[in-house]
Amino acid sequence: MVKRFKTYSVIMGLMMALLLSGCETEHRFIKKVAFKGDDGIAVTFAAPVDDGWAKDISNFIVSEKPDPDIMLDIKDTALNPDRTKLTISFKDSLNQNMPHILTIKRIISKGRPQGTATLTVKKLYFGYLLSILIGAMIIHNFVFTKYLGLCVFFGTSQKKSTAVGMGITFTFVIVFASLMSWFFYQFVLKPFRLDYLQIVVFIGMVSLSVQGADTILRKVNPALFKAFGVYLVLVIANCIILAVPLILADNEYNMVESFMLALGAGIGFLIALFLMSSVRERLELANVPVSYRGLPIAFIVAGLFALSFMGFSGMSIF
Amino acid sequence: MDPLYIKLAIGGLAVLGSIGLVFGIGLALAAHKFAVEINPKVEAVLEVLAGAQ
Repeated sequence: MVKRFKTYSVIMGLMMALLLSGCETEHRFIKKVAFKGDDGIAVTFAAPVDDGWAKDISNFIVSEKPDPDIMLDIKDTALNPDRTKLTISFKDSLNQNMPHILTIKRIISKGRPQGTATLTVKKLYFGYLLSILIGAMIIHNFVFTKYLGLCVFFGTSQKKSTAVGMGITFTFVIVFASLMSWFFYQFVLKPFRLDYLQIVVFIGMVSLSVQGADTILRKVNPALFKAFGVYLVLVIANCIILAVPLILADNEYNMVESFMLALGAGIGFLIALFLMSSVRERLELANVPVSYRGLPIAFIVAGLFALSFMGFSGMSIF
Repeated sequence: MDPLYIKLAIGGLAVLGSIGLVFGIGLALAAHKFAVEINPKVEAVLEVLAGAQ
């Protein structure tokens, strides 16, 4: 009982740390800085600041973190009645996926100077992780928007039970394989300047994790092994499982972000397989023209799914 | 050829070779540890049967 409580408190602590990491600031006089709406940044000061100083927009310099020499155009600034909260609005809307650097020059509070502050404005990290997960799962679904992994997708979506079995196996294997590939990319390939060999190494990692899972599962849980059957080996031939480590390597994700992307890709594949198998079970009963029976109608259904998944494109969460 | 490239190539060979060796031994050990006893008669019968697919 005590042990379980301890684990829970560790998890809660980690989550709190993640949540709080979004609102720390680097200057003692500024309590909080965050995006506000589409085209604004809200700054909360520890004490009331001077009206005249806040009105002068040349005191504020904002740029995106990757290009510090491109200043964003500030429209105006507005101070709350209690003079501790300042809202800076911009002429164009901000790209909130990018961290922004905000420099506030010579802060004056009650006539006394408080120095210059350089702050980083970014979205809440927890929300960012969730947006990676949902993005990989639905918005950029690997099957329906990137057309990856189609061979396994069409091969195992005839029956609902096999489709779900395949999806669950796939999710486990992809999480394990991408975390391992991430580790090897960051700590072996990059330090030895071997990143041009990433595809070879990632294929090795995928087959290794599949082989390992096969060997261990056969002994530890024969029932589950029987249920997975041939799909466990089929996973090796899936290209989503190779695409995810390559995306991770390209975007320089850290470990938690990699985990989220891999999990999202796995669950997205599970969703795609489940939807497709539900339709194909119904298609067995439908009166399909002879030349379209089997795979051709399945391709048409997949195209319709892809069209409907296009409805999610361009959406952003948090 | 630039000695830097040769160094890089040999380093790559060494690193990837050692990764492969370590994981190969790991898999072999795992296979040994998690070995499942299969009745040898099953294999013998399968061998005798016609093996199309």
